[in-house]
Amino acid sequence: MADDETPSQTQESSTAREFSANGTSMSTSDVEAKLDKGNIEEAESSLRERLSLNSEEARTLLGRLEYQRGNVEAALRVLDGIDLQAAIQKLQPSSQQAARLVLEGFYLKVKSLQKLGKFAEAAQDCANILDAVGRIFPQGIPDAQVESKLQEMISKAVELLPELLKQAGNYQEAMAAYRRVLLNPWNLDNDCCGRIQKAFAVFLLHSGLEAGPPSLGAQADGAYVPKNNLEEAILLLLVLMRKIHHGDIQWDPSVLDHLMYALSLCSQTPVLSKQLEELKPGVFHRTERWNLLALCCSGVGQNKAAMNLLRKSLHINERPNDLTALLLAAKICSEDSQLAAEGVGYAQRAVDNAKGVDEHLKGVGLRMLGLCLGKQAKVSSSDFERSRLQNEALKCLDSALSFEQDNPDIIFELGAHYAELRNLNAALRFAKKYIDITGGSVMKGWRLLALILSAQQRFTEAEVVTDAALDETGKWEQGPLLRLKAKLKVSQSRPMEAIETYCYLLALVQAQRKSSGPMKIDSQVEDDKVKEFEVWYGLASLYSSLSHWKDVEVCVKKARAMKQYSAELVHTEGFMHQERGEIQEALASYINASLLDPFYVPSKVRIGALLSKLGSNSLPVARTLLSDALRIEPTNRKAWYHLGMVHKDDGRLADAIDCLQAASMLEESDPVENFRSIL
Amino acid sequence: MSSSNPGSPSATATSSSSASSFSSKAHSCIQALSSILSTVPSSVSSSSSLLHDPTVSSQISTLLRDPDSGSGDNNLCRWLYDTFHSPDPELKLVVLRFVPIVAGIYLSRIALRKSLAGFEAILLALYAHETTARDGQPISVNVPDLTQPSIYHEAKSSVKTQATELNLAVISPTLEPHGTMRSSRRARIVGVALELYYSKISQMPVSSKLEFCEFCDIWATGIQNKPSSSSSSKQKTILLPWELLQPSLRILGHCLLGAHKSKKLYEAASMATKSLYERSLHDIDAKAILATSSLLRLEKMALDPKLNVDHTEIDMSLAL
Repeated sequence: MADDETPSQTQESSTAREFSANGTSMSTSDVEAKLDKGNIEEAESSLRERLSLNSEEARTLLGRLEYQRGNVEAALRVLDGIDLQAAIQKLQPSSQQAARLVLEGFYLKVKSLQKLGKFAEAAQDCANILDAVGRIFPQGIPDAQVESKLQEMISKAVELLPELLKQAGNYQEAMAAYRRVLLNPWNLDNDCCGRIQKAFAVFLLHSGLEAGPPSLGAQADGAYVPKNNLEEAILLLLVLMRKIHHGDIQWDPSVLDHLMYALSLCSQTPVLSKQLEELKPGVFHRTERWNLLALCCSGVGQNKAAMNLLRKSLHINERPNDLTALLLAAKICSEDSQLAAEGVGYAQRAVDNAKGVDEHLKGVGLRMLGLCLGKQAKVSSSDFERSRLQNEALKCLDSALSFEQDNPDIIFELGAHYAELRNLNAALRFAKKYIDITGGSVMKGWRLLALILSAQQRFTEAEVVTDAALDETGKWEQGPLLRLKAKLKVSQSRPMEAIETYCYLLALVQAQRKSSGPMKIDSQVEDDKVKEFEVWYGLASLYSSLSHWKDVEVCVKKARAMKQYSAELVHTEGFMHQERGEIQEALASYINASLLDPFYVPSKVRIGALLSKLGSNSLPVARTLLSDALRIEPTNRKAWYHLGMVHKDDGRLADAIDCLQAASMLEESDPVENFRSIL
Repeated sequence: MSSSNPGSPSATATSSSSASSFSSKAHSCIQALSSILSTVPSSVSSSSSLLHDPTVSSQISTLLRDPDSGSGDNNLCRWLYDTFHSPDPELKLVVLRFVPIVAGIYLSRIALRKSLAGFEAILLALYAHETTARDGQPISVNVPDLTQPSIYHEAKSSVKTQATELNLAVISPTLEPHGTMRSSRRARIVGVALELYYSKISQMPVSSKLEFCEFCDIWATGIQNKPSSSSSSKQKTILLPWELLQPSLRILGHCLLGAHKSKKLYEAASMATKSLYERSLHDIDAKAILATSSLLRLEKMALDPKLNVDHTEIDMSLAL
C-alpha cells in the first residue's frame, strides 16, 4: 500500500480531521505536516502539550492518524516508540482504562502488520493481546463489568486471530485458535460469535485439513463432542441456524447454503428440510421454499412428498414454468405408471420452456416426455391408445437422442422400448451401444443384451454375454445375472446345469445374509430376504417344470419362510395340483394368487385356461379374465393362445385366427425373462 | 502444515536413520524418473522438491496424456506404481498429486477399448491402501440433534440419553478388497482414489488441483474449458454416479472456498462447478443439484463486497 495514499475511512468528513481528548480538541493539520517531514518526536510533544496526554496516549493517536491516512509503515514506526511489550506485562486486573489504551495500541500494530502482509508476526502479536486479556481477567470475562470500548477491542482481536493464522498459512494453528476463541468465555455478542462460528465452519468444511477432535478436559460433561471436521462444521451450522430461527442473529443465506452443501454430501437432506420449514415466511419466496423442499425429499426417495410440493409450486398461479421443478416432477412421475399421465403434462411444459440459455435442457425434457408416455402406455385401457402412446414415446426418445447423442440413459431406454415392441434388431443395436458407452459398468445393460439375444433364440450367445457380465460384476451383485443364466440353461434344455447355477447362487445369497453382521440396517435385511426368496422361487419353478413335486414342495416351504404371502408361490402350488389332476384345488390356488396380487398375470391366464375347458357357460368368464391379463401384459403369448382357443370354441373364427397368430409371433421372440423387469 | 490423519503418518521423519533411508529411497526414485523423462532439474533432490517441481510435473502430465500412456507396460505407470509402494509418505504424496490426471484420462478412455492396465494398477494400489487403512470400517458422520447440548450450545435436554440417538450418515461405505478392476466396481474404486486425494489435498500443489478442475469439466459436459487448450474437440462425458460425484464435490468445494490464494484455481473451480451444476440438471439428480447450486450461490456471495465487511477494522476515531 503506497505510503502517501489517503483513503477516507472515517465516517466523519475526511478533509477536516480533529484530535480530541480530555475535553479539548485540535485540528490535525500541523501534526500531519510534522509527520510528513518525519518528525515523530515533535508531533508527539505538540500533541502532548495541547491535549495533556502522556507519551503512550499521544503515540496511539498519532498511530491511528497515520493508519487512517493509509501510511501503514509510518504507523508502525510511530508505535515502535512505545514499549508495548513492557506495557502489556505491567497490566493490572484493576485498571481497565489503562489496559484499553495499551491494548488498542497493540491492536493497531497488529492491523498495520496485517495490511503489510506480515501475517505471522501479526498473529503472534494478536495472540499476545489475548494472553494479556487472559491475565487481566483470569476467570474469563464477566458479563457486565467490562468497559464497552475494551470489550469491543477484545472482540475484534478474538475475531482477527484465527483469520491471521489462516492468512499466514498456519492451518493447524488456525484450527486451534478458532477453538480457543469459541470454547472459552470472551463475552462476545451474538453477531461477533456468529461470524466466528461461521468462519470456522467454512474453514472446517473446505480447508482440506482434518482438525482432529477438540481436547476439552472437563468441559465435555455429557455434551456432544464432534469427532471430525464434517461433524463439527455441521454442528456449528445447525447452531447458527438455531440462532437465526430464534432471532439472535440476522438471516444469513450463506449459512443455509453451507449447510445445504454439507448435508447433501452426507445424503441427509431431510435435516435440511426441517431447517427450511422452520424459517419464517418471507425469507424465501414460497415457491422457492417448496422447490428446495421438493429437492430435499426427492434426494432421499421421498417421492410422494416431493410431488405434493411440486404440484403446489407448479400451479398455474404460482411458478408454472420453472424448468428445474418441471423436470423433477416429470422424472418422479416417469417412475410410476399411476402418475405417468400427469408427468406427460410436466414434461411437455419443460420442453416448451427450454429456450434461450436453457436450450441445452430440451433433450432432457424430451427424454422425460418419452418415459412418461411409455409408462402411461402400460396402463392404457385400449390397444389403440397403447400403441399410439408407445409410438409417441419412441418418437420423443429419438428426438431426445438427436439433442444428446451420447446420453447413455436415452440409448438404454430406446433399447428397452424397442425390445418391448419386439423390434429386436433395433433393440440389439442400442443395447450394444449402451454397453460400449458405459464400459460395461452397468448391469442392466448386460441384462438387456442377454434378454434380447434370448428373445432372438440365440441362447448360446446370450449365455456368453451373461458370463462376460459376471466377470465384470462384483460378487454380491451377481444375483440377477445368475438367475438369468439359470433360465438360459433351462431354455437350452440343460436343467441340471440350471440347478447347479441356482445352488451356487443360493450359497452366495446365504453367505451374504450371514456376513456384515450387526451393522446391518433394516432395509438391507429385507433386501437379503428378497434375494433368497427369489432363489427358492426360481428353484421351485424349475423343479415344477421337471415335475419333481417333492423338491417343489421343499423349495416352496423355504421360500415361504422368506416371504409369507406371495402370489408366485401360491400359483406354483396351483400348478402342482393341476399337473396331479386336482383341478378344484388348482383353481382355488390360482384364484387365491389373483386375490393376493390383482396384477399377477400367470394366475389369470391359468384360470382362464381351466375355465375354458369347463363348458360353454364359462367361456365368457374365461374371455374376461384372459382379456384382463392381456391388458396388463399385452405380450403374454399364453394369454393370446388361450384367448384364441376361447374364440374358436365360441365360433368366432376370425378373432381366433388373429389371437393365435399373435401367440405364434410372440413365441418366436420371447425372452427368458420379461423385458419389463429391466425398466 | 502437518496432517493429523491417522491413516498416514506425519510428513516429518522421526529418526535420523529412517530419514536417511527415506532420502536414499527418494534418490533412487528420482534416478529412475530421469530415465523416463527428458530432463530432471538438479534442484530436485528430495521427495518434497519432487512434489513441487513444475518442470517434472508438466513433463509427467504431458506423458500421461499421450494416447498410449495407460497400457500395462508403460514405464511411467510402472514408476508411479512403484513409487506409491515406497514406505516414505512424501513419495506417496508425489503419486497422489497425479490422481486427477490418471483418473481423468482413465475414465475418458474406457469407451475406447484400449489397454489401460497401467492406470488400473495404480488406481487399484490406491484403493488397496485405503482398504487397509480403513480396516473394514465405513466413514460415517453424525448429524447431531440440537436438543442434546454440545460444546457449542446449550440445550435443555429432558432425558440424558447415551448417544443412542445418533443419526449416523455413512459418507463412504465399507470397502471390499478388489484385486482386479471389474467394470461394475470401477466408479467406486476411482471414487476411493479421489477420497484419498482429498484427504491430502492441503498438501497438493495448485497445478494438481487445476488439473482436477479441468477433468471435472470434461467429465460433466465433455467440453474442455481451458482457454489454452489445443484440442477444441468435444470429448465424451462419462457416467457420474454418486460414488464419483461426492468426492469430486468435496475437492471442488476446497478449490472454490478453501483458504488458498490462487485466482487461477478459483476461476477454474468456478467453471468446473458450473459444469457440474448443468450436468446435475441434465441427470435431474436432486442431491447434486442442491450441492452444486449452493456452491454457486456461495461463490457469488463471496464476491459481493457488501457481504464481506471487515468487522475487525479499527475504530477510526481520533478521540480518546
